[in-house]
Amino acid sequence: MSHLTTLAATTAAGPGAASITQNLVFWVLAVISVTAGVGMVLARRAVHCALMLAIVMLSLAVLYALAGAPFLAFVQVIVYTGAVLMLFLFVLMLVGVSSADSIVETIKGQRLAAGVVGTGMLILLALGIGHGAIGGARPLTSRNGSGNVSGIADLIFTKYVFPFEVTSALLITAALGAMVLAHRERTTPKPTQRQLSRQRIAGSHPTPLPGPGTYAQHNSVDMPAMLPDGTPSELSVSPVITRRGLSSQEAGGPPPGQVEAPGKQEARP
Amino acid sequence: MSATIAAGVITPPSIEYSQLCPMLLVFGLAVAGVLVEAFVPRQARRGIHLVLTLGGLAAAFVLTIVVASSKSLFRDHAAGHVAAMGAVAVDRPTLFIQGTILVLAFVSVLLIAESSHDVSSFAAQAAAIPGSAEEREGLLAGITHTEVYPLTMFAVGGMLLFPAANDLLTMFVALEVLSLPLYLLCGLARRRRLLSQEAAMKYFLLGAFSSAFFLFGIALLYGFAGSVRLSAIAAAASSDTGSTTLLLAGLALVGLGLLFKIGAVPFHGWKPDVYQGAPTPVTALMASCTVVSAFGALLRVFYVAFGQLTWDWRPAMWTIAILTMVAGALIAITQTDVKRLLAYSSIAHAGFILTGVIAATAAGLSASLFYLAAYGFTTIGAFAVVTLVRDPAGEAAHLSQWAGLGKRSPLVAGVFAFFLLAFAGIPLTSGFTGKFAVFQAAVAGGAVPLVIVGVLSSAIAAFFYVRVIVLMFFSDPAPDAPSVVTPSVFTSAAVVLGVVATVVLGVVPQPLLGLASHAASQLFVR
Amino acid sequence: MTTVAATGVQHAAWLMLAFPLFGAVVLLLGGRRTDRWGHLLGVAAPLAAFGYGLACFFALLSYPAAGRSRDLHLFSWIPVGGFRVSIGMLMDPLSLSFVLLITGVGSLIHIYSVGYMAHDTDRRRFFGYLNLFIAAMLLLVLSDNYLGLYVGWEGVGLASYLLIGFWQFKPTAAVAAKKAFIANRVGDAGLSLAIMLMFATFGTVNFSGVFARAHEAGPGVMAALGLLLLLGACGKSAQLPLQSWLLDAMEGPTPVSALIHAATMVTAGVYLIVRSNVIFDLSSTARLGVQVVGAVTLLFGGIIACAKDDIKKSLAGSTMSQIGYMFLAAGLGPAGYGLAIGLLLAHGFFKANLFLGAGSVMHGMDDEVNMRRYGGLARLMPVTAATFGLAYLAIIGIPGFSGFFTKDPIIEAAFSKGGVSGALLGTAALIGAGLTAFYMTRMVLMTFFGKRRWEDQAAAAAAGAGQEGEAEAPHQQPHPHESPQVMLWPMILLAIGSVGAGAFLATGDRLVNFLAPVTRTPAAPPGIVGPYGLGALGLALVAVAAAWWMYGRREVPAVAPAGGVLVVAARKDLYGDAFNESVLMRPGQWLTRLSVYFDNRGVDGLVNTFAATVGGASGRLRKVQTGFVRSYALAMFFGAALLVGALLLVRL
Repeated sequence: MSHLTTLAATTAAGPGAASITQNLVFWVLAVISVTAGVGMVLARRAVHCALMLAIVMLSLAVLYALAGAPFLAFVQVIVYTGAVLMLFLFVLMLVGVSSADSIVETIKGQRLAAGVVGTGMLILLALGIGHGAIGGARPLTSRNGSGNVSGIADLIFTKYVFPFEVTSALLITAALGAMVLAHRERTTPKPTQRQLSRQRIAGSHPTPLPGPGTYAQHNSVDMPAMLPDGTPSELSVSPVITRRGLSSQEAGGPPPGQVEAPGKQEARP
Repeated sequence: MSATIAAGVITPPSIEYSQLCPMLLVFGLAVAGVLVEAFVPRQARRGIHLVLTLGGLAAAFVLTIVVASSKSLFRDHAAGHVAAMGAVAVDRPTLFIQGTILVLAFVSVLLIAESSHDVSSFAAQAAAIPGSAEEREGLLAGITHTEVYPLTMFAVGGMLLFPAANDLLTMFVALEVLSLPLYLLCGLARRRRLLSQEAAMKYFLLGAFSSAFFLFGIALLYGFAGSVRLSAIAAAASSDTGSTTLLLAGLALVGLGLLFKIGAVPFHGWKPDVYQGAPTPVTALMASCTVVSAFGALLRVFYVAFGQLTWDWRPAMWTIAILTMVAGALIAITQTDVKRLLAYSSIAHAGFILTGVIAATAAGLSASLFYLAAYGFTTIGAFAVVTLVRDPAGEAAHLSQWAGLGKRSPLVAGVFAFFLLAFAGIPLTSGFTGKFAVFQAAVAGGAVPLVIVGVLSSAIAAFFYVRVIVLMFFSDPAPDAPSVVTPSVFTSAAVVLGVVATVVLGVVPQPLLGLASHAASQLFVR
Repeated sequence: MTTVAATGVQHAAWLMLAFPLFGAVVLLLGGRRTDRWGHLLGVAAPLAAFGYGLACFFALLSYPAAGRSRDLHLFSWIPVGGFRVSIGMLMDPLSLSFVLLITGVGSLIHIYSVGYMAHDTDRRRFFGYLNLFIAAMLLLVLSDNYLGLYVGWEGVGLASYLLIGFWQFKPTAAVAAKKAFIANRVGDAGLSLAIMLMFATFGTVNFSGVFARAHEAGPGVMAALGLLLLLGACGKSAQLPLQSWLLDAMEGPTPVSALIHAATMVTAGVYLIVRSNVIFDLSSTARLGVQVVGAVTLLFGGIIACAKDDIKKSLAGSTMSQIGYMFLAAGLGPAGYGLAIGLLLAHGFFKANLFLGAGSVMHGMDDEVNMRRYGGLARLMPVTAATFGLAYLAIIGIPGFSGFFTKDPIIEAAFSKGGVSGALLGTAALIGAGLTAFYMTRMVLMTFFGKRRWEDQAAAAAAGAGQEGEAEAPHQQPHPHESPQVMLWPMILLAIGSVGAGAFLATGDRLVNFLAPVTRTPAAPPGIVGPYGLGALGLALVAVAAAWWMYGRREVPAVAPAGGVLVVAARKDLYGDAFNESVLMRPGQWLTRLSVYFDNRGVDGLVNTFAATVGGASGRLRKVQTGFVRSYALAMFFGAALLVGALLLVRL
């Protein structure tokens, strides 16, 4: 354990400057973040996972700050906890906040083997890192100079300028990939307002479709609204979302895979 | 340094643009390709992309030759130069690998560019759900994803950087830059789209898994050496600093990340599934260029950073090489899908090349370089032939459908048989020369048992190659036998290039062998 | 003799290979587009090679005898580490003699084929294969190392396979092609083992390197090398025990039989032995093997030839027998190498001539091959009959003709070897001469003289049922006619060669002296006319008389009579196939059964177990590939743990 403490201390403020407070915070946050990380993997509900992830991110941010990198800490909070995780949550809300994974394991022995191998790996790494000698690493403050920001800037724009610039290729690829996977080009002319209104009057539902049963039992949009006679309304849930609690046959909807049938969509202006 | 920081001034970095120009050109054209996607009307895109991509790859290849023949770079017997503030190494093995990648990528792009209506391999609209009406509309409208060209260019750019990366951070970025476009491309198959999407998903998940190991390994190595520079790690490893557990654990994990990319057993699980599901031109790209690039990076890391630790990593690498050769050859025997068969064959070949890597000598390096180039051409050619044998549902990949192909399309079957013989290592094909070179290097490096295993698994592998040949020529065709489409000039060119390279490198391998051994003579720059 | 780098016209000797190879590539890849002019290109290619070969030959003659070994280095193949194979061409008296035979006789047969194959829709493909054969055969004889020779060896095997099975719609042709392929594989295995042994022993496979260091190896190695080379030679040259394929190979078109299975390819075994003379000189065991194989095969082939009614199969038996003579001569050591090559060259002429004559007869007789349905054709095919007759006189060794000058010295040499073995070998050769005269006379009488049996259609139809391999429906009565000019002229040219080649080669020991730099033949080879030569001549005349007694004097029955034990045996190729079946195949099956029986006790160490193990392991390993990402990830994780553990443990 003493090795790890030294490790923490060394990374935090340099060999001589390991204070009790820093050690204490490190250990507390270490426990919290690892627990949250394990929890994130084990949690069945996506929302719980996202929240656990937020805890990990925040802990990391504090650790950065503790290690003398306030800029990094703030970026961590703003970008990851603020932007990325919020996006996660939006998506989760859209697909149903309480959607959960199936946890039935079909492969025989998978869990046992995974547990054994995971434990083994843990022991090995603990041995390896526990006995490891930290060489050459200098406290971060030594690079900071006139401040953390300029220290980082110095690294990013001189020593690591090439990988930093190449990262842009990664971002462009990601954007392009998102477009490729999500954007569907129109192959037919866009229907005009007139065509749409005609279609609507001619169809079976001239009125607006009923809203989803959000807040009826659950606070997400995948809950169908109840009709006066107590049956769920098939029209109340967007076809891109799987209805909750009902198989698609019960709900009278089309089987999954055809949910995006064009006639269906056009019926929802 | 501290003085400049104190003054708040950063000295601008020096970038050797002239030495990095092939890579920069590829990245630049990839970005240009994205702009073409944004601003050019659909009808004109393909033509522009073809000019940009093929022309760019060819130009980058020429630039690579120019850099390689530059006098100043190798002045006073220098092994090379470390450019871009220590991020990128420019030396002879790297330039050889980059040249190989560019040529192979050029041939792969020829396959990607195949667009006669029946043969195009890419989905009309990746966003349309498989089997849906939108998908049909897209197909009827005759559109195809032209984004594949910039994506390919990004991947090629990453592949160029991967073996050239002189520090682990750059290497990691390059790994991601080359992987991400490939994940996407894998999911864009026109036929059997669910299989393709599943392949992309698997590749992505497992790729991310291995990247995590790689990154963890980098962290451990940084902890050990206080730097991510390969030479600094080597220096720290050679100066006896006491405990080396961080170094060794880091070595193992970084090695894992690299071995995953080349598909060594037991990190090979993705390979058959992904090769089968991906559009065949993309499979060809992965089976040739990615493998070359990953081996380049593996060679650099193990020769430069861990060159002093040969005795530490050799036993483990021996085991992995043996497992890879034997498992690849063994499992291939019972495969019934041509693309899976070629995937397992690719795994076995990765094992053969590993025997050359393990030698850790200049001879091993040059043999590996030659093998990579030779194997790349043959494998692209083989996959090109796979794209030609089709039934109404797309490519007829099941082996039973290939029965009797020799009777109906003797030329195509003959060419495929020739590629298989090259894989099996029959003399007068490049496969023989390459195998001979790596085994020779391995024997010289004292790895005789490894070579014996290699020869045995070659024998096993030869069995299933010959089985396919027998199936093609001595069985009667099935009643629902697929037809062989007449390829356009693009696919034909890829096949012809594959055949020519396989023959020439088998009959007159001397020029390329000489080039490889010249490239390897001074090993890597540090 | 030292080898000097090739200069002058020989500097571009690779052109000799390039011409036919180019022809083959164009014809085989060009497809139907080249149908119209394909045969012309096919003929031009060997002619060009012949012209160039002639130029090289005269260039060689201009050098002094000691300097007649010219090496043309082409390139180094796989120069990795200490391994170095330089691919090059060796031009010396031996190789250029073969070049002239291959391209000269080859060109004539190409020209003949233009007429013979005129009605075949696949004539272009046929010429493509023929050119491929010429290229491979030239590589075989011109290569300056065993590896190149082996490539050529396999190349001619491939061409032979393709050409025997050229009419693949005939099941017999397809089966014959396969049989030739497999029998040759056995021989090729011997050759390849010999080359590997050579490389292991001497570290090189170049002729010059191997021969220079041959004396360093022990007698055991040399004997093994010699016997392995002999096995290779037996396969290619259809010598016992690998003789069975040649008779079936007659299913191919007749020009193929003439070129490949009489004049050139089947003599490659003789070339191999003569080329490797240094090795054979150092091992009496290997030499004895060659002598025995040659003597036994010359009798074996002769007996078969006596009984066959199929004209081509009878000629094939004759070929086996004549090559047996060559082997016998080559086995006699330095005294015999020159004689072997002499008979080989002369045989190239007269046997090609005989085959082309047979082809001409078949051409006029609607592809009938049964001699019992010939008869009296001399009047109708005068040129064919005349050229055939000249070749006949040559092969049976009438003084003044080729066979006399080339075969009789072999008989003399066999006797002059001395001792019991010499007497035995000589007697065998002597009997062989009698057999030759008998079956050739029989063939000539049955084909060109006597009653016109083909006119009796009913008899032919009735005979069709019981004959070997002849079960055709009754057909139109044939109208024998002389073949077109394009087929006759090659036969006439070959006939001139048949008559004159022997005298030309043997006068003043011209060939023996020419070859001396390669074969190191002693200065005074046995004379042409000795007591045994005269004995052979006498025996031949007796045999001619006997044949006339049996086939010329009385009517030849259209249906083969039952015959005695020996005749029946000979008709069945002296039980060659039965031998293969009972000695190789049956015990193999027994062994398999036995090994299956012992399988449970793990004694079965043969291929089956290995294959089953491999297959089983493959099936089991395949199950690991479940298709689930999480199981792949687990495997990776497991591998990672092992890798980390292994690396950490190394230092612990």
